Amino acid sequence: MTPANLLVLATALPLIGFAIVVLLSSRIGSPRFWPWFTVGMVGASLAASTVAYVTFMSGDGAVEVHAWNWLQIGSHADGSPRYLQIGPYVDKMTVLLFAMVTLISTLVHIYSIGYMEGDSRKNRFMAYMQLFTFSMLGIVLGNSLLQLFIFWELVGISSYLLIGFWYEKRGPQLACKKAFVMNRIGDMGFLVGMGILFVKFGGDLVLRAADREGGGVFGSLLLNYPGGAIDALHAGANEWWLTIAGIGLFMGAMGKSAQFPLQTWLPDAMEGPTPVSSIVHSATMVAAGVYLTARIFPLLTPAAHLFVATIGLITLVMAALIACVQTDIKRVLAYSTLSQLGYMVLALGAGSYTFAMFHLVTHAFFKCCLFQCSGSVIHAAHHEQEMTSYGGLMKKMPITAACFAICTLAIAGASIPYTPFGLSGYYSKDGIIAATVNYGDALAAAGMNWGAVFYWGPTIIAYVTAFYMTRAFVLTFLGKPRDKHLYDHAHEVNWTMWAPQVVLAAFAIFIGWGFFKVGANLHDTAPAMAQPFEEREMEHGYHFVHGALLHGFGWMLSIALGFVIYINGFTISSRIAAIPGIAQIHWWLYNKMGFDGLYDIIVVNMFKALAGLMGAFDKLVVDGIVNGAAWVGRELGFLIGGFDYRYVDGTVRGSGRAAVRLGSILHRTQAGNIRMYVLILFVGVFTALAIATPFALGWVWFGLPQH
Amino acid sequence: MIGLGHFLTLSAILFGCGVATILTKRNAIGILMGVELILNAANVNLVAFNRFSWAGEAVAQGGAPAVDGLMFAMFIIVLAAAEAAIALAIFLNFYNHFSTIDIERARMLSG
Repeated sequence: MTPANLLVLATALPLIGFAIVVLLSSRIGSPRFWPWFTVGMVGASLAASTVAYVTFMSGDGAVEVHAWNWLQIGSHADGSPRYLQIGPYVDKMTVLLFAMVTLISTLVHIYSIGYMEGDSRKNRFMAYMQLFTFSMLGIVLGNSLLQLFIFWELVGISSYLLIGFWYEKRGPQLACKKAFVMNRIGDMGFLVGMGILFVKFGGDLVLRAADREGGGVFGSLLLNYPGGAIDALHAGANEWWLTIAGIGLFMGAMGKSAQFPLQTWLPDAMEGPTPVSSIVHSATMVAAGVYLTARIFPLLTPAAHLFVATIGLITLVMAALIACVQTDIKRVLAYSTLSQLGYMVLALGAGSYTFAMFHLVTHAFFKCCLFQCSGSVIHAAHHEQEMTSYGGLMKKMPITAACFAICTLAIAGASIPYTPFGLSGYYSKDGIIAATVNYGDALAAAGMNWGAVFYWGPTIIAYVTAFYMTRAFVLTFLGKPRDKHLYDHAHEVNWTMWAPQVVLAAFAIFIGWGFFKVGANLHDTAPAMAQPFEEREMEHGYHFVHGALLHGFGWMLSIALGFVIYINGFTISSRIAAIPGIAQIHWWLYNKMGFDGLYDIIVVNMFKALAGLMGAFDKLVVDGIVNGAAWVGRELGFLIGGFDYRYVDGTVRGSGRAAVRLGSILHRTQAGNIRMYVLILFVGVFTALAIATPFALGWVWFGLPQH
Repeated sequence: MIGLGHFLTLSAILFGCGVATILTKRNAIGILMGVELILNAANVNLVAFNRFSWAGEAVAQGGAPAVDGLMFAMFIIVLAAAEAAIALAIFLNFYNHFSTIDIERARMLSG
């Protein structure tokens, strides 16, 4: 089987699993059977993806494109029919993401068996997970923006179902709606972008393999235009349109990847079961936005790049700062995810397609693991999520603590100083910073001196990342127990939960090595179009990073700082937070920078007012017109009815009555009295004579012959 | 000199008497008499018109006298006789039926 066939199979398996579980699980099979059945389906999908990955990577790297005409919509300028196409598109990025998504999905499925044990609706949960996996794989496999959008929406609905899985509680109800609505806002931009591409540029939205040598690690894509290569489009009057289209499509990514200002749904999505958080935050939903931005990469104009980079920068700084003060363990991780997504988006904006995708992959593993570890802690702590109640759990849960520690180091970008060895996050994040250094320099060279923010931001936040992750680890696993009762009942989770953690932690360590041997010619692996910098310039970026991060002990410093402050719980930090000025900032950050409140005040109230206005308009004007028309009709009806009753019916009835009355009058003359008859006879005769006499006289006087 | 007008006057008086008789009498025989009076009024008219009018040339100028009116009068007399016979027969039956000849009782034709 070709990789394309394998990947179609890998996509279809979770869907089949979903259908079977939904249809049959309530009728047959034991409760223990169905969760393992779903693991089997997604495991088979993983096997197919792995075979496809190996086949493709060992092959010649030629991109496989299959497109079938689906709907004909109008025609091209030259008269040939224009089609919407569907089909699989396979390049290196596809096979890589397939392997990653199916692997993580399999591990999360196994983890879910342990986590959801005892939940009466766990079969349904597993079915939703299957649907979610299917949707994400569909996005990755899609060969056109349209197909991507279809699965995009499927991801939206699956996340809605999963986040709101515990629908009997108020929090999840609100969270799933919020996630769904926030995503719709981004999707609006997606649709606008597709519309511009389709109408203004006449593109068929289908992805095409780049026509150039050496596709790089992830290959390169172009959107197909009948008029020729995309380079031509970047020039001239179309540039603004292309910028708007690119930003529009990126808005879709902003929704899914929870970028500023659409970020508020992601922390709320923590209301869902932890396996959902784990998969949503790592391999699937939020990755979809980054994936989309990577796919549309060749479309982005320099202005759109700047927009993307700015959004990424804002998100990564903002989320990292908020993560430093949150006390709910899953919220810390959620903001950490936001921050890391900011890194990826910034990398895309800075033109480093390769490192963005690389960081997506490495992040998926350690973030998934972190969420699973937090889920294990929550599970062991009877669904207590506040870190204020934890402490010292390392003794009770050594495996979980070890996995969490490894992944904390990975996300912090830990490495061995002066050697090129580190955990996976080290490679990808350093690559991103290197790219942003070049981007900032390029901007500065173009007269925009503030371009430096694009590398100082992520560089500083790299330290902040290490700090808040250490904080979470120390507060949870080290120090003295702050809640004795909770501590006494905590215990290591069973193997279905810790085994996936261990696998993920292992991946978090070495996943970077497989792709990037340190010191290798990294930028050669990226598509030319996605790598706007010369080799020499890229090295400049690397030198900067080496100076700032690699050779230094930066990650150790912030980890040490976090350790010192939080080893005794909140005693030191609360003293710091009590300092005037800092207290206000702390409060502001703790309340997520007030975005929810801001949106409530501005957006929600605005729409409420607008809705009220519309309602009033509807009630007064529209209803008024309708009711008025009805009133006029009714009154007219009464009028016509009255006329009908009085005059038409009246004429008919009146003539009938007149006839009756006349009859009754005449009937009196028929009295059978002969004398009366005679009287009438004579009266009649005399009357006739009286009338006839004048005529007769006239006739006599004027006409009768005289004798 | 007695002219046509006198005859017509007489006829009108006769006719008026006949009508009055019919209208006032309750006795069927009386009504029959009234009818005879009306018929005679008509006869007087016919004879008088016959006497004073001519179909063609006047008698004085050698025209033959007309007899049309006289003939009508004769018919009416015959008719009156026949009518009287039939009327009397009706009245006899009427009497047999109602034991009276008061025509006020004869209301069976009332509508």
